[in-house]
Amino acid sequence: MDWDRRTFVKFAVGAVIGVHASPLIPKLMDDSTIWTQNWSWVPNPEGGGVAYARTVSPQTGTGVLAKIVNSRVAGERAIRVEGDPDHPLSQGGVVPADASALQLLYNEEIRVTSPMLRNRKTGEVMRITWSEALDQLAGNLSELAKSGKAHQSLALAPDPSDVTGRILSRLMHSLGSPNTAYTPTPRETMALAGVFMMGQPFLGFDLANANYVVSFGTPLLEGFGAPVAVRQAYAKWRGYPKNPGTLVQIEPRASVTAGQADEWLPCKAGSEGALALAMCRIMLEEGIYDKSIESAYGFDDMKGFAGFKSMLMKDYDRNKIAKMAGIPLAKLIKITLAFAKAERAVAVCGPGNSGDPGRMYDFMAVLALNAFKGNLGKPGGVLTQQPLPLKALAGDIADPQQPPLAGGERPFNVNNVNAMAKAALAKKPYGIKTLILCGGNFVFNGPQANVMHELARKTPFVVAITPYLDESAAVADLVLPSTHWLEGWGDSTTPYGSPVSSYGVHRPLVKAVPQARDAGDILLAVAQRLGGKVAEALPFKSTEEALAKRSEDLGDFEELAEAGSWVQKKAIYGPPKFNTPSGKLELFSMILHDLCVKQAGSADVLENMLAYLGVEGGAKTAFLPHWQKPAAWGDLKGNKLLMQAVPSLRTTWGGDAITPYMVKILPDTMLAEQDKLVVEMNPITAKALHLNDGDLVQVESEEGSLTAKLSVYAGAAPGMVFVPVGLGHEAFGFQVAGKGMNFNNAAGVTSDPMSGMPIWELTGVTVKKARG
Amino acid sequence: MATHQQAKKQRSRADWLLLILGVVLGSAFGFWITPTILYAEKPQPFQFDHKIHLEQVDDGCKSCHTFREDGSFTGIPDIESCKECHSADEALGEDPAEKEFMKYLQADQPIPWLVYSRQPDCVFFSHAAHSENAGFECSRCHGDHGQSTSLRPYEYNRITGYSRDIWGKGPIGLSGPPHRMKMDDCAKCHRENGVNGACFVCHK
Repeated sequence: MDWDRRTFVKFAVGAVIGVHASPLIPKLMDDSTIWTQNWSWVPNPEGGGVAYARTVSPQTGTGVLAKIVNSRVAGERAIRVEGDPDHPLSQGGVVPADASALQLLYNEEIRVTSPMLRNRKTGEVMRITWSEALDQLAGNLSELAKSGKAHQSLALAPDPSDVTGRILSRLMHSLGSPNTAYTPTPRETMALAGVFMMGQPFLGFDLANANYVVSFGTPLLEGFGAPVAVRQAYAKWRGYPKNPGTLVQIEPRASVTAGQADEWLPCKAGSEGALALAMCRIMLEEGIYDKSIESAYGFDDMKGFAGFKSMLMKDYDRNKIAKMAGIPLAKLIKITLAFAKAERAVAVCGPGNSGDPGRMYDFMAVLALNAFKGNLGKPGGVLTQQPLPLKALAGDIADPQQPPLAGGERPFNVNNVNAMAKAALAKKPYGIKTLILCGGNFVFNGPQANVMHELARKTPFVVAITPYLDESAAVADLVLPSTHWLEGWGDSTTPYGSPVSSYGVHRPLVKAVPQARDAGDILLAVAQRLGGKVAEALPFKSTEEALAKRSEDLGDFEELAEAGSWVQKKAIYGPPKFNTPSGKLELFSMILHDLCVKQAGSADVLENMLAYLGVEGGAKTAFLPHWQKPAAWGDLKGNKLLMQAVPSLRTTWGGDAITPYMVKILPDTMLAEQDKLVVEMNPITAKALHLNDGDLVQVESEEGSLTAKLSVYAGAAPGMVFVPVGLGHEAFGFQVAGKGMNFNNAAGVTSDPMSGMPIWELTGVTVKKARG
Repeated sequence: MATHQQAKKQRSRADWLLLILGVVLGSAFGFWITPTILYAEKPQPFQFDHKIHLEQVDDGCKSCHTFREDGSFTGIPDIESCKECHSADEALGEDPAEKEFMKYLQADQPIPWLVYSRQPDCVFFSHAAHSENAGFECSRCHGDHGQSTSLRPYEYNRITGYSRDIWGKGPIGLSGPPHRMKMDDCAKCHRENGVNGACFVCHK
C-alpha cells in the first residue's frame, strides 16, 4: 500500500468523521452557548436567604423595601428596591430613581473606594489612608481657626434638617464659621409664608382627600413633594378606589401634569401668583368666599396701611390679570367658581418646573386663596403638620463673630447657597480658603453649576465628601468616600407638601464599599481631631449615636431603625392654631412687618430697604400676599426668550444622579440620538426665529449655554424654550456621562426679593441655530 | 492495463480501510479529549466526612441542610450552623482537615465549599417541592454523597464554569440522576409524574 495524497485524504476524512461521531463538537457547541450565561457583565447574584428590610430613601423621603440576598460566601447584597406597602407616603409605590438606586450603589466604576488626595499642580491623584485624610482636613480647618480665619471656610450639604446637615452646621459654627448652606427647597419658602401668615412653619396639602385641586405651576406628577403619595392621590382623583376629583393645572407648558389634568390653563410663565389673587378677587366680588376670612388681620384697611381687600380691588381686576396672564377670562371665572363651590378644594403651590424653592409672595398668595376657600385645617385642604419630635443634638452654640458671606443685609436669614458662592468669588465681604462639599454634588446641581465649579476651582482647598466620583469629586483636592443610603446611617425629614410629618432613618443594610464611612462619622472624626469647642459641640462617637440622641422621643432607637420611619399617625383636622401676634390669620403679616422695620431701623428707611431688596410696590404691599413681576421678565429684550426646565420622574431634580435605567427610559422628546439634549419651542416662536424641528440650536443665557436639538411643540408656550433638567453629567460612567447637557449650567439664579431664597424658575435666553 | 486496474482496486480497498481507521482513531480521540480538555479540577478547601456527621445527627441530611422559614433551601450550611456543634476554642480530633476547619471557625469566615450540584442561575429549583411535597429521598438526585467519607475533587467545565456533575461523568453525557442533573432529567421525571413541564416552571 502506497501512502499518497489519496490515502492521506481518505484517512483525514475518516478522522474528521470520527471526531464528529464523538461528543467533542456538539459538546463544545453546547458549552459555548451556556458560556454566554456567565459573561462578566451578566448580573448573577449569589444565591442565599432572601429578606426584606424597611428603610427610607432620603432622595424622596418615602419608605422602601430593600430586598437583600444573604449569600453564605459573598455576604449580603441588595438585589431590588421596592415600595413599602406599609409606609403612608409610599403605599407600595416607588419612583424610578429609588427603584434603580442599586445601579449607583454597586457600580464600582463610579464609587469612591478610598480617600484620595489630588495634587493641583500635577493633577496627580493619590490614594491615602483615612488617618492621613482626616489629618489633612482637620489640619486645614485648625490652621484657619488659629489664624482667626475660620469664617473663610464654606460648607455645603444637601439638607439642613437631616443629621448630617446638623452635624456639619454645628462643626462649622463651633469652629467659628457662619458659612453653611444647603440645597434650597420649597420647604423653606413654605415655612416662611406659613410663619408670616399663620405662625405655622409646617404646612402641607391634603391632596388625597381633595376633590378639586388647582396647581399653580407645580409639577404635581413629575416629582412634587413625596412623589409616590402625590401619584396615589392623583389615582384617587381619577376615581380609584373612590373620591373622584378634578385637577386644574396652571402652567405655560403642556406637561405631564397638564396632560393628565381636567383643565389646563396655559398662563404666561411667572404670572401664577397673580392668578391666585385674581381668583381671590373673583370670589370676593361674587361673594363665594369663606366669611371667616373677614376677621383675618389685615383683611380690611388698617391705620397707615391698605388692607388685603383694598389691594385686591385695586390691583387684581379679573380682566387685567387674565389678559396679563394670557388666559381666557371665561375660563378663569369658570375655574374660580368651581373651586369655590367644590366640597374639598385646595390650591397648591410649590417648586416650579425648574425645581427652585419658589417665590415667597406666590406662596403667600396661594395660602390666601386657600384661606378664601376656607379649607385651612379641613379635609382636602391645607393642614398643619405635627412638628417632628426630634431633639437638638446638643446645646446652643454661640453665633460666630464674623457675618456670613451673604444674607446679612436682609430682615431674616435664609439659606442662599448661590449668593454665598457669588460673594466668595467676588471676595465681598471676604473670600474663602476652604470649601467643604458634603454630598449634594453642588458642582453639577448648582443651582448655578458654573458658579459652583468656578468657586471650587478658585478655592485653595476643596474637600468632597461623596459616595460617587461625581463632578464635585472631580474638582476636589481631598475626596472622602461616604456611604450610600443603603449602606450607612442617616435620616430624612418630611417631604415638601406632605399633609403629615414623617421621619425616616436609614441604616447600613449592605456592605458595598469597605472604605466608605457615613458622612456624619467623617465630620465627627474631624471634630474629635480639632478638639476643644468643636469636639464639645459634637459629643458623639458616630452618626448612629447622634441619630439615637436626636430621635430619643420617638421611642426605642433600634425599633425605629428597624421600622425605618416614623410617620404622624393622623392628619390634624380642625381650625389651625395661629401663632401670630394677632392670634389670627394674618393677611397683613405683623411678623414680616416687624422684622423689616427692625432691620431698617425706622419707617423712613423701610422704603429704601425694600427698594434695595427689589420689593416692588414698597411698604404698601410688602406685608400682604401680593404678586411681584418675575425678575426674568425684565430680561426680555430683542429676541430673548424665557427658559424653563422640564422635570420628570425619569430624571432627577438635584440629589443623586440619573441612573442608567432612567437614561434608557427617557423619551426622544428629552434625549435624542442617544446623547443630544432636546429642547421644546412653540411653532410660532420657532418660525419667528427661522428655526425648524430637528435643528441643532444654541441656548445662551448670561450664565452659560447649551447645545440641543430643537423639538417644535405646540404644547410649549410661545416666547419660551423648555429644557429637560437632570441630564448632562460628565461623571457617573459611560451609561450616564455625556447624555445631554446640564440645565443648571445655563440657569440664571437670582434672589427672591423679600425672602432672599435663590430662585431660577425662569431665565432670559437667546436661541439660535448652532454652527456645525 | 489489467495489472494497473488490479493495482488500483487493491489500493482502493486499502484506502477504505484507512478511512475506517481514521474514523476509529478520530472518534477515539474525540471521546478521550472531550473530558480532558473540557474539565479541570479544583480541590475542596479541606476534607469532609459526610458519613461521620450523619451518624452524629438525628434528622439525617436535614439536620444541617435546612429550610428557611420562607421554605427556601439553605444548601451548604453556613459557619454559624457548624458552630452549633463545633467550638472555635477546641478542635474535635487530630485530623488535618479539622485543623483547616478551625481556621475558618476562629476567623468566623464562610468556608468556600465548591458545590457539585449547583445549577445554572437561570434554573429555579425548589428543594421543598421535591423533598417535602413529593417525598423524594435526597439520594435520588445526590446519590450516596451523604455516605461519603471524603470529598472527591470538584470538576468544572472550563468553558461554562459549571460543575461536571450536571453533565455527568460519562463521555457522551447519557445516564440520569444521581449521575447526571441535566434539564432532560428534570423534564423526564416531570413527565413521568404528571407534573407541569412548561418552561416557566423552572425558568422564571
